[in-house]
Amino acid sequence: MLSYLLAVAVVALIYSLMTLALNLQFGFTGLINFGVVGFFAIGAYTSALLSQAGLPLELTLPCAALAAGLAAWPVALLSLRLRIEYFAIVMLGYAETIRLVISQEEWLTGGVRGLPGIASLSVGLGIPGDPTLVAFALALACVVGAVLVSRRLVHSPFGRMIQAIRDDEDAVRALGKSPGRFKVAVFVVSCLFVGLSGGLYAHYITYLAPDQFGALLTFYIWVAMILGGAGSVGGALVGSAILLGFIEGSRFLHDLLPGVSAVEMSSVRLGVIGLSMMLLMRFRPQGLLGGKAGCG
Amino acid sequence: MGFSLFANLAFNGLITGLVVSLLALSITLVFGIARFPNAAAGDVATVGAFAGLLGPLAGGGTLWIILCGMAAGALLSVAFYFLLFRPLAGKSAVSSLIASIGMAFFVRAALTFFLGHDQRVYPLPIVRAMPVGPLRVQPTDIEIVVAAVLALAAVFSILHLTPIGKRMRAVADNAELARVSGIRANRVLVAMWLIAGLLAGLSGTLLGVKTVVSPEMGWDLLMPAFAATILGTIGNPVGAVLGGVLIGLAQELSTPFVGFTYKLGVGFLVLLVTLLIRPQGLFAKNSLVR
Repeated sequence: MLSYLLAVAVVALIYSLMTLALNLQFGFTGLINFGVVGFFAIGAYTSALLSQAGLPLELTLPCAALAAGLAAWPVALLSLRLRIEYFAIVMLGYAETIRLVISQEEWLTGGVRGLPGIASLSVGLGIPGDPTLVAFALALACVVGAVLVSRRLVHSPFGRMIQAIRDDEDAVRALGKSPGRFKVAVFVVSCLFVGLSGGLYAHYITYLAPDQFGALLTFYIWVAMILGGAGSVGGALVGSAILLGFIEGSRFLHDLLPGVSAVEMSSVRLGVIGLSMMLLMRFRPQGLLGGKAGCG
Repeated sequence: MGFSLFANLAFNGLITGLVVSLLALSITLVFGIARFPNAAAGDVATVGAFAGLLGPLAGGGTLWIILCGMAAGALLSVAFYFLLFRPLAGKSAVSSLIASIGMAFFVRAALTFFLGHDQRVYPLPIVRAMPVGPLRVQPTDIEIVVAAVLALAAVFSILHLTPIGKRMRAVADNAELARVSGIRANRVLVAMWLIAGLLAGLSGTLLGVKTVVSPEMGWDLLMPAFAATILGTIGNPVGAVLGGVLIGLAQELSTPFVGFTYKLGVGFLVLLVTLLIRPQGLFAKNSLVR
């Protein structure tokens, strides 16, 4: 039981890393990233492929973060030119296109058959001990790091600037500051977190396939962020914990309800995420912990 | 790769394009009047396609399939207007957009929970394709073209020849001015969501007639339809239709060069290029929203 909880906690931490990133982008800056899963996939495949080419994990994990950041850069520039609704649609299409490339370029990614036999974190880093425990410690360290970076950013002059951009971009311009540079910086830096999260995921699960990177994952992260309250660093962690509690809880529910198959349970998960997106927007856009921002 | 290959691809592109057009018209009406990109349109189309499977119970032939699909699309669309989008009307477009994605997931989850993930086909007789010049034409292709053109003609008649259509255009043009002129926004919005649902349902059934019915069909149609909407200038019905046909042609004609999988990415590419070069779309001059 303990090892099961530990395994769930690793995934929760990996998701928290993405939730923290999305919170910086949307909660603090107002950038709508509907393509989280695309950067996650880039991080995962980059680290997995580099490690299979013989690079040590100490190098491949930073490379995963960098690759996602690089992929985020042109998109971030695009966000300066587009109205937010347009940008949201573009991000949705961007992530779908990345998945299309992964499933098509079989010579590189193994295509739809997937990429098996990725080095696990404990083997790859040469740390002896229970692999789940090693993954947990590493993911925890990354999340603590990301929380510290987030807090540091948010409470700095930079942080006040991005929140001002979120609240009233025209006022920021009137004060003679250029919002563009800040937006690009936030978008790229937070995508570094997402890429790292993808790298951790690849070496924790040790098998990658395109169907792990559907649009649903993006909205898992969105629901986690809104639940915790957009614009609240602690909320991002709570939201991810609630989300994982639900995803894993639905597995137990599946054991308790013998009439419901695993495939039907996946429909239930999709339905509950959809329903909670509608209910949150309708009744509690500020989330459970209620940051200042919210989606109202 | 001879002339006849490209002629056939172009013909198929026209038909796919009309299907995309219908969904794009649904999206552009919502965008022009309720002012948010409706990501649930694709899954309303899916529900329409599945409802079309009930057609043979009501009566034979493509007509009943289409009618069942349109009815289901309209019901779903109006129901969600009252339950979800009307209460959200005062909030930002982002709230409605997120809620519409939630609706898309919820609707698809309900479909797959009760009906499973299997692909289905309509029980239509299999007929040998007729040669028309270089083209190989299925009788269902002609039915699709006729149905799409009739539907587009009906929507444009409603928009330009009826009082409710005039009010819809007024609200799209300037919501405040329409309100002070005594136009009841609620009626306009019910009519708009009704038409949007009918169009999405039709688009889904026609795609089902052309290919197969599957739970992901609508979501996959969403990106080309958004691209068509933006290419044709948001809120511009004529633009949405032309944009849809252009994207259908681009998708099919690119198949020999980029392969079957990347065909799905063509819609996104067109969207991206449009937004970079001409974000207001091709038909910005006579658009309904500026």
